[in-house]
Amino acid sequence: MLALAALLIVAGCGVSAESGGRAYRGVMLARAIPRPDFTLTDTHGQPFDFRAKTDDTVTLLLFGYLNCPDVCPVHMTNIATVLHGLPYDVSGHVRVVFVTTDPERDTPAKLDKWVTDFDPSFIGLRGTPDDVKRIEAAVNVAPAVAGVPDSSGAYEVGHAAQVIAFTRDDSAHVVYPFGTRQADWAHDLPLLVRVK
Amino acid sequence: MTVQWWCSARGIPWRWHWQAYPGVWIIVLALGAAYARWSRPLASEASQGERSSRARLIGGWIAVVLVWASLDWPGGPLGTGYLASVHAAQFLILGMVAPPLLLRGLDPARVAAMMHRGGLISRVITAVTLPLLARIAFTVVMLATHAPGAVDVLMRSQAGAFLLDMAWFVSGLVFWWPLVIDVPVREHFGPPMRILYLFAGTQAHLYLSMWLLLAEFPAYGIYELAPRVTGLSAIEDQQLAGGLLLLIGGTYVLAVISVVFFRWFAEPQAES
Repeated sequence: MLALAALLIVAGCGVSAESGGRAYRGVMLARAIPRPDFTLTDTHGQPFDFRAKTDDTVTLLLFGYLNCPDVCPVHMTNIATVLHGLPYDVSGHVRVVFVTTDPERDTPAKLDKWVTDFDPSFIGLRGTPDDVKRIEAAVNVAPAVAGVPDSSGAYEVGHAAQVIAFTRDDSAHVVYPFGTRQADWAHDLPLLVRVK
Repeated sequence: MTVQWWCSARGIPWRWHWQAYPGVWIIVLALGAAYARWSRPLASEASQGERSSRARLIGGWIAVVLVWASLDWPGGPLGTGYLASVHAAQFLILGMVAPPLLLRGLDPARVAAMMHRGGLISRVITAVTLPLLARIAFTVVMLATHAPGAVDVLMRSQAGAFLLDMAWFVSGLVFWWPLVIDVPVREHFGPPMRILYLFAGTQAHLYLSMWLLLAEFPAYGIYELAPRVTGLSAIEDQQLAGGLLLLIGGTYVLAVISVVFFRWFAEPQAES
């Protein structure tokens, strides 16, 4: 799974950009990714137009699955914890969108409970594997790959481990690989909200 | 089954599947063998019904068991790669509880004979257990081995985690030696100085525990980014670690200070 993270198309770890005179702690992209235009289904069975519904917000987009043992829960916990501690003029401008790469096991009810347990504002989306692959390609991340089921039928899904941060200029300039700490989020989110 | 020489942070989800750590067994067996050798006269006294010797001997073996329990599965890997609270408990055992129990469980005559022979080991022990030096060494090791940079780097490798565990244990032995062992004789290191020594030597723990309790974010990447084992979040686990150091560690030090004080208080009465 982590090996897939190495497929990140980035300018290189440790490279930083200035925002209001302060450097990001995330990884800068060599080329910004435009906010993708796609529609998936939310956990209430309604269509979710990503571009329209996340317009003018800092949107943290991540791919994963509910049985993910490490990357997904750590990212979600860290983002939720930091958002809870930030002032509303920052946290109110941030949306977190989680796209499942395992729609077969991640039913709408399970996905809804899982994302809203971290924070009620977090959004869980489902789509067909082909839909998700198209979105992954659009945001330059490696496509998810399901592993071979074990004797009990359980399997893991290799997926991109980075969180892509779209700012209010409708582009992602920074991504956050696995290993991003709460202190890093607390440092960067206010900076990301300032980008217009 | 995975076999690792020593516990280290591996970043994989925790499973309640037993794992073998032969390095831990070798160290604990060596410690047990050394202790058996250095406590042999106490064992024969204890078998003859000498209560004080029996208590010392039991204390010494409890120390060996505590060292083993803190380093082997599941405590070892949990403290190394998953839970800061278990890591704090390991520190309390390896640096604070096991060393004095072990030293007190040694045969005093045998230790005195070794020290009076004046060999290299005797000279090294005399030098490093000089109270001022021992206190500084213990504090430096305590602070250095709890620095986030050091923990996050050392715990990722078996050698690093081994170094950290041994640093706690050895610095603990050095720190507790002047309090528990009467040789070399230090005439100016009476009860008031011992109380001051204990108080000053454990101040760093107080600051560390307060820092862990009050920090806004998790201090150690290893524990923050580890798959969760319990329902505690990383910051709650860190606060539990700080609470353990403050409450258990603080109570323990206060108890030892009380023992030193009341023994000192009782001394003139005994003489009169």
